[in-house]
Amino acid sequence: MNNINLSCLGIGERAFITGIHAPDGTRQRLQSMGLRTGREAEVIRSPRLGPMQIRVGSVHLIMRRRDAARVAISSGQ
Amino acid sequence: MKRLAIVGMPNTGKSTFFNRLTGSSSRVGNWPGVTVDLLSAHIVLGGTAVEVVDLPGIYDLHGFSEDEQVVRNFLENNPVDLIGVILNATQLDHQLPLALQFCKLGVQPHILINMIDEADQLGIRIDADALSADLGCPVHLLSARHGTGFNEVRESLAGRVNQAQHRPLDEMRDCLHADDEIVQHSDALIGRCVTAPSVLVRKMTERIDHVLLHPVLGLPLFFAMMFLVFQAVYTLGGPLQDVVAYLLGNFKGWALEPLAATLPAALYGFLIEGLYDGIGTVASFVPVIILFFFLMAIVEDSGYLARAAFLTDSLMARMGLDGRGFVMILMGFGCNVPALMGTRVMRSRALRWLSMLVIPFSLCSARLQVFVFITTALFTAQQAPLVLFFMYLASFASAFLTATLFGRRFKSDEPFVLELPPYRTPVLKQVLLRGWHEISHFLRRASTFIITGVVLVWILTHYPEGSTPGGAGTWASLMGDWMKPVLDPIGISAAMSVILLFGFVAKEIVIGAMVAMTGLEGAALNGYLTTQMDTTQAISFMLFILLYTPCLSTLATQFTESRSWKFTGISLAWSLSLAWVVSFIFYQGARALGY
Ligand SMILES: Nc1nc2c(ncn2[C@@H]2O[C@H](COP(=O)(O)OP(=O)(O)OP(=O)(O)O)[C@@H](O)[C@H]2O)c(=O)[nH]1
Ligand SMILES: [Mg+2]
Repeated sequence: MNNINLSCLGIGERAFITGIHAPDGTRQRLQSMGLRTGREAEVIRSPRLGPMQIRVGSVHLIMRRRDAARVAISSGQ
Repeated sequence: MKRLAIVGMPNTGKSTFFNRLTGSSSRVGNWPGVTVDLLSAHIVLGGTAVEVVDLPGIYDLHGFSEDEQVVRNFLENNPVDLIGVILNATQLDHQLPLALQFCKLGVQPHILINMIDEADQLGIRIDADALSADLGCPVHLLSARHGTGFNEVRESLAGRVNQAQHRPLDEMRDCLHADDEIVQHSDALIGRCVTAPSVLVRKMTERIDHVLLHPVLGLPLFFAMMFLVFQAVYTLGGPLQDVVAYLLGNFKGWALEPLAATLPAALYGFLIEGLYDGIGTVASFVPVIILFFFLMAIVEDSGYLARAAFLTDSLMARMGLDGRGFVMILMGFGCNVPALMGTRVMRSRALRWLSMLVIPFSLCSARLQVFVFITTALFTAQQAPLVLFFMYLASFASAFLTATLFGRRFKSDEPFVLELPPYRTPVLKQVLLRGWHEISHFLRRASTFIITGVVLVWILTHYPEGSTPGGAGTWASLMGDWMKPVLDPIGISAAMSVILLFGFVAKEIVIGAMVAMTGLEGAALNGYLTTQMDTTQAISFMLFILLYTPCLSTLATQFTESRSWKFTGISLAWSLSLAWVVSFIFYQGARALGY
């Protein structure tokens, strides 16, 4: 398993979600909000202070970097 | 009686649809989590009486937050005949699985694909018939906001209402495992029935966010906008207030006084100078409050609240809260009660309780009335807005101090993930509805505890017989003497202390009580106030009012939401002590400096 995650991406970069490393409840939550395995995520905003803005399909989410770090992505893209 | 439940993800337009279907005024806003409780209305559909229920949004059928719990409890314990699943047409890839979950339960929901206007603009085409054929349940495209396709939905619901089966969804937990399968099914369906541009660009929204979410300019712009809102309330509100005061005064002069002139003096004093003037003075603030809520409604419906959460999250994180907590503080500027209930979207109890501990310090519109009243009476026109601004700063500072102090005890690692909806133009009807809501809210309060409070204050300040009204010897002044040791050090006079007692119930009473106590109004009352407090005392008094406790309803809501006497008790004890200490430091400090 590699440890590349969503928080590593820069603005405008995209990658496929490969899994979520979090306790069951949290994982369930993140998935149901759109962060599902196999979906492509793109970073829209990533200010130095403050949360990131992520687009997954048609959904725009804001999330803390700490939580984005729980979303594993495939490398290479 | 048949029952129709409206379900769907947060912010998909459930309440908008509910309002259109039933003619009610469920609160609508471009923020996920506006509705956090059940709301039902009765209508006749296809010749049958139907109870329609507007529910909070859910992300899936096994959510754990308090608002999602409300939905589950409802669906599991109340038989429903029809289910309308509202989906956002621009996010079917994300939302269709929820509808499929309901299909899987065997309930044959009506799938209502809403916001078709936005989908059209984005170039999304949806084949509802194909979806319907595959799923075996009715699928409709509509715009709840503009009414497109609404009549078809209504007819379709009416056509099915009589054959629908009546059943609770008690086996909801069983569908926990089928998720991946459902998502695959959903993706396949979308591949067949939906055509969309490969990348959806929210052009307008992106352009606005480019400015409003700017890494450097974002926060200053936010504060500038807040400032403009309050400036508008203040400058537009004043004249409006004068108009109402003028009308009420004229009504008294033309109709009431001639009528009441025959009454015995004591009764006249009670009815006119106590009750009518007291309530009237409170009522003169209603336009200010409505104006305030108009502006709040515009902000809420625009989608800017989610941006406020984005901008403030890193600051809030430092205090153990998150961006949603900040938005609840903002909502608290209107009224603390819905803001407290709004924390239901938080799943961690610690985070929720910490937010609920902080929200009561948010300077609500009722306290704003008191402050406008006092600042107008005691400060110059130049000073008054500055003093008000200072009170808002104090409100924020107390909230932040509280969060910082209690943050260690209420630690949570709840993820902060929030949907960022597109900007939407506020709907005039929605904004007006909100204003109307506030008027009726005021009338309800006025007819219950504002009247009761004003009557009680009048009695306390006019009896026992033979005492000087509002002066020595009355019950009120006895109570004032009794509270003197506590209130003297913070510069609050005995006459004002009874008012504080009633202000505990609701802040509007404070203004009404001053009128009832003195039998004065308008300029005369302002004159009286200057004899009761100088500007230093006035600020100390206002700080105390700001912090000691918002009102009884807030306290009751804190209890019902936390279901903990201990939490409610701690919150009350903390706010009382903080109020006293802050006023003490301010008052004694200012006096020591010679003010
Ligand atoms: N463009 C467009 N906007 C809509 C439509 N229906 C609702 N909206 C807007 O979507 C936002 C959310 O509407 P609500 O009715 O509050 O949504 P809800 O599903 O009740 O949301 P929660 O109570 O938070 O779960 C509001 O800003 C509405 O004005 C529609 O058909 N078209
Ligand atoms: Mg709603």
